[in-house]
Amino acid sequence: MIKAGLDLGSVNTKLVAYDGDERVYSKVVPSRFDSVGAGKNLLSLWQNSGNVSTYDLVVTGYGRVSFPVGKVFTEITCQARGCHEYFPEMPLILDVGGQDAKVIRKNGLGKVTQFVMNDKCAAGTGRFLDVILKGLELTQEELVMAAEAKPMTINSMCTVFAESEVINLLAKGAPKPEVVAGIFRSTAKRLARFVESLSQPNYLIFAGGGAHYKLLVKFLEQELKAEIVIPEEPELTVAIGAALLA
Amino acid sequence: MIRRVDYLDNRELWKLLDIDLEKHDEFLAPLPQGITELFLNRPNRPQAMSYFDMVVGDVHGIRVKELYEKKQQGAKVFATFCVYVPEEIIAAAGSVCIGLCAGAQFTVPTGEKVLPRNLCPLIKSTLGFKLDRICPYFQVSDWVIGETTCDGKKKAWEILNEHIPTYVMELPQRKADKDIRLWEEEVREFAAFIEKETGVTLTPKALKDSVQKINNKRRALQRLADLRKHNPSPIHGLDVLLINQLSFFDDPERFATQVNALCDELDERVNHGIGVTREDAPRILLTGTPQPLPNWKIHALIEQAGAVVVGEETCTGERYFKDLTQEADTMNEMLSNIAKRPMQVNCACFTPNTGRLEDIIRMKENLKADAVIDFNLQFCQPYGVESHSVSKELEKRGIPYLHLESDFSDEDQGQLLTRIEALLEMVQS
Repeated sequence: MIKAGLDLGSVNTKLVAYDGDERVYSKVVPSRFDSVGAGKNLLSLWQNSGNVSTYDLVVTGYGRVSFPVGKVFTEITCQARGCHEYFPEMPLILDVGGQDAKVIRKNGLGKVTQFVMNDKCAAGTGRFLDVILKGLELTQEELVMAAEAKPMTINSMCTVFAESEVINLLAKGAPKPEVVAGIFRSTAKRLARFVESLSQPNYLIFAGGGAHYKLLVKFLEQELKAEIVIPEEPELTVAIGAALLA
Repeated sequence: MIRRVDYLDNRELWKLLDIDLEKHDEFLAPLPQGITELFLNRPNRPQAMSYFDMVVGDVHGIRVKELYEKKQQGAKVFATFCVYVPEEIIAAAGSVCIGLCAGAQFTVPTGEKVLPRNLCPLIKSTLGFKLDRICPYFQVSDWVIGETTCDGKKKAWEILNEHIPTYVMELPQRKADKDIRLWEEEVREFAAFIEKETGVTLTPKALKDSVQKINNKRRALQRLADLRKHNPSPIHGLDVLLINQLSFFDDPERFATQVNALCDELDERVNHGIGVTREDAPRILLTGTPQPLPNWKIHALIEQAGAVVVGEETCTGERYFKDLTQEADTMNEMLSNIAKRPMQVNCACFTPNTGRLEDIIRMKENLKADAVIDFNLQFCQPYGVESHSVSKELEKRGIPYLHLESDFSDEDQGQLLTRIEALLEMVQS
């Protein structure tokens, strides 16, 4: 039987399908404020491409409640299941997504035993980093320089305040790479304390789109004094978990 | 039974009470639909809920009219915001004690005109109700009886006092002998204040009757709470929350009769194994801050997700009724017992407050709850801080739990639902 997982996220919509143990499909498309529409399109795209007719489907992500078909699980349960496939021996997961950040603890079966999520605020989420970094219009060169730069102190964690703090620093002539490094370090500090509110880890699985920020990973390792492992496609683990639960 | 009054009567009454009619209309407009969706449209509700449906359906009408009439006969109305305030004393003087609404987002922005934004929404909503003049209970009240449970309330009384006379009882922060002596002194002073304000001299007979009357209300609520231990639960948690909320408003004797009638019906349901959910529906115990009328958000989300709330270790729940005032004959003894009862209530404003952890575990066991949701209103320091010890205790015992923080607004319902559903997936797998 073919099993599919559809993750209707706030920023991207992802579909993963398995035939037995073999992954037969995976695709990420932007949600564009209509994750349900994006999910429907993605499903028909897949069905048309591979002559798929019957399959078991699990739908997750914030659009799950309004999706017409499939069994429903929360992204928390799916994330634990997905990450478990890669790192069955590690219990702690940090998920930095577009709209929220979560810390999840799983057991030896990949089931959730505890979790915490950020409060209703963008601080520490992928959206926070996106907004600030987009405003800076970084070149590839500046990003490379940021990796080596001495991070400046950024105090604000509110997206709006942090943006104006960054503008102030740049207006005073602070070098862009140092400011960028500072943004990642202050985010890492906040995320580290968030992780520690649940557990002091030796190892941490880092998933969600936020895991693509290499500088964030570096500072997070420093802050947590822990080894961080990242699944191959960190933005897909929720959809993978959904497919495995189907 | 309460006499029904029609809409026009209500408007005349509200005008007499100096209600801002336009704003009040705006506030009440979404209520009928909300009540229909949350309560009336639910399947399997007990018949005896109809009384409570009627009371909440005309929440600013029938009961307010009663209070207005009582005032014309010489009684006074005292408004409270806390389960520590001794309602027995007020009732013994032939006056009325009501706990006020403080759970609406609608009045929060007005509250924020005089209070910091990062303050508990319950306090902001309270002040907003008075400043907006849209709560007829506030308007019909002669006095507010405040207490010093938290810093936010303590300071807000000073502002509220500019708009309605506010009497403040000093609640101690610890439960040592000297603290209990202080509280007893406060209770005696309060009795003298009530005598002075109402012009009624308290008699041992009147106080004894009133202790019995309020105890009977507590017994009825205890009986209702205990019926929820059955699986499947014979009643929705949301319905019980509504009853608990109305217990602060209604006439205590009539209310107890109605709750007992409901319990008779629930006894029948239990005998026949009838419940409101399937037997495998997850059972949730809620602990934390109160959910004042008309705040139903957390219960509604939990039950929408397929679980059933079987208990509330909160002030709009167990803390209000779990302890009775010990009956006595002399004035002196009765006042002392009235002071002793609330000292068994475990509010996070006390330190230490380990009794609350014991209450949570006892309720979890008795009600056979599968998980605990620890909920606190945003910016509530005592409960926010105490969530650390609550989570440690539950973790130690391997009890699944979730900590939630929210206010009275609707905007975070999606996020809250995701968390609640994840908790249910945890206990169901």
